[in-house]
Amino acid sequence: MALQPAAGARDLNPGQVERNRRLCQQLAAVYRLWGYQEVAPPAIERLDTLQARGGGPQAEVVRLAAEEPLGLRPELTAPIARAACTRLAARPRPLRLWAEGATFRTFVGDGGGQRISEQLQSGVELLGVPSAAADAELLRLLLACTETLGLRGRHQPLLLVGHHGVLSALLDRVPAAERTACRQALTNFDPLALAALPLPGHEVDQLLVLLRLRGEPAQVIDKLQQQLGPLALLEDLAQTLQLVEAAAQRLGVGIQLDPSFQPQFNYYDGLVFKLVCQGEAAPVEIASGGRYDGLVARFSLDPDAAAGVGFGFRIEEIRDLLDSGEGPGPSQGPLLLAYGQASQLPAALERLEALHRSGLAAELLPDPCADAQQAEALARTRGNQAVEWLG
Amino acid sequence: MITVALAKGALLKDSVRRFAAAGLDFSPLLDDDNRQLMVPSPCGTARALLVRNADVPVYVAYGQAQLGVVGDDVLREHRLPVAPLLDLGFGGCRMAVAVKASSGYRRASDLPAHCRVASKFVRCAEAFFDQLDLPVELIHLTGSVELGPITGMSEAIVDLVATGRTLRDNGLVAIEDLFTSTARLIGHPIALRLDHGSLQTIVDQIATAAPAARPPVPA
Repeated sequence: MALQPAAGARDLNPGQVERNRRLCQQLAAVYRLWGYQEVAPPAIERLDTLQARGGGPQAEVVRLAAEEPLGLRPELTAPIARAACTRLAARPRPLRLWAEGATFRTFVGDGGGQRISEQLQSGVELLGVPSAAADAELLRLLLACTETLGLRGRHQPLLLVGHHGVLSALLDRVPAAERTACRQALTNFDPLALAALPLPGHEVDQLLVLLRLRGEPAQVIDKLQQQLGPLALLEDLAQTLQLVEAAAQRLGVGIQLDPSFQPQFNYYDGLVFKLVCQGEAAPVEIASGGRYDGLVARFSLDPDAAAGVGFGFRIEEIRDLLDSGEGPGPSQGPLLLAYGQASQLPAALERLEALHRSGLAAELLPDPCADAQQAEALARTRGNQAVEWLG
Repeated sequence: MITVALAKGALLKDSVRRFAAAGLDFSPLLDDDNRQLMVPSPCGTARALLVRNADVPVYVAYGQAQLGVVGDDVLREHRLPVAPLLDLGFGGCRMAVAVKASSGYRRASDLPAHCRVASKFVRCAEAFFDQLDLPVELIHLTGSVELGPITGMSEAIVDLVATGRTLRDNGLVAIEDLFTSTARLIGHPIALRLDHGSLQTIVDQIATAAPAARPPVPA
């Protein structure tokens, strides 16, 4: 019998679960302050819903053996967008929703076998606001969340921002037949693929320059305006970033506008962003999000009015990031109640409940203990914060 | 501190030379007596990890190394999310289909459907035979794949061919190339996007020092 979790899955110890819960609660408190309401989307969805996310094969979806094609959600956005357009369709917009829960993805491991990764996510969706005001609100909320999480200077938080529409506008000059390959090469950071495109040399050179265009938002927008001329979505983007700049500066979060940056999900069709921190040895992506009006339109009776923006935090990455470099904290376990004689068990149980009534977490050492010293030694092993000895 | 993953073996000498052109001296890795797997550059700004060929893109994909040098064959086989930055031009070899010289096969499409093909590079082989629309049974081996046809376990092999001597010495002949492979400078995509210039400077210096390296990016 296999005694380990299924390949790729993880079972967490109580300390990790506690840290995860605390992080989720901290984030939820911020979401609620901003007027977001909790929903609990199902972990199981029809493949149709998951495939509405658009684009290529849905190889990452864990499929279930069932009468109808079903899969486990690889993220929370598509299930929430579906619910918003069906059960919650009559609710007034804007609709502000948040959710947390496990997401599942499958991939082929190096050994050739299927592996399933399970990730705890917490995130928000703001539906029904097509204007850039929703983009700005979402980024401000993301920044407010980073404050509550306690990211510090050593984590070097940086918000990478791109825009699907801006990249499309930049690629308008590329022949249509090469546009998809060109977008892929830019978003994959693949200058060799760019150089191999069947395009005139000067066009390849322009694309290679575009691949290097990133930095402080105002400067990058200036350069984009020089290339694209007046463009409404560029002005919207500039205004959105202006609206978050001061808050980001106050919180020590850098903002980098990167026109060729696109996250892995292909349902984003407007603003896209990723919050990256510097871990001990490598960059850690702790949140990502963007605008997905097209995804909402696929579920909506009124596609013209469909709009959605959202983001998700990767809780376990945040936990590992915040815990790295710090030793174990003080013992947080419950008080240990120990007693010396078997006849004291009734009194011990009474005392245990009295402690609970006073709001103290306490656990009972079920069998009698030789003396207080032995009880204290046991408490240290178990991680109890204190001992109460009924001698 | 910039970390560079370099592959042990045939690519190491040229890899060290290219980074020297960018001012990073990892020459202790070439010392026969060296047993260190992580070597700092004397300038103190970088360090090199000495890893197996197939592990270079792994260290880069996980972000433990921001840059690395590895053969294109390894990138095509392992398909990890790394950014291919430059074709360094050295370490040239071909990925080829080979059969027993006495077999009579002259092209890969001559092979019978459902025949066995042995390879270390099963993903590359699978993609190639899929493209040919020829169903084959792929057998994954970890080395000495030439023994497949010799022992009769497989009709053909897919393997890297540099000079062709190993094939000849074992009575095999290459009948079709899948692709040619040379060393690539690769990078971690997010690290490159977060870069404030130090990584790009190294890439540019390596590109300038080796005109074969593509693509030179205009200023």
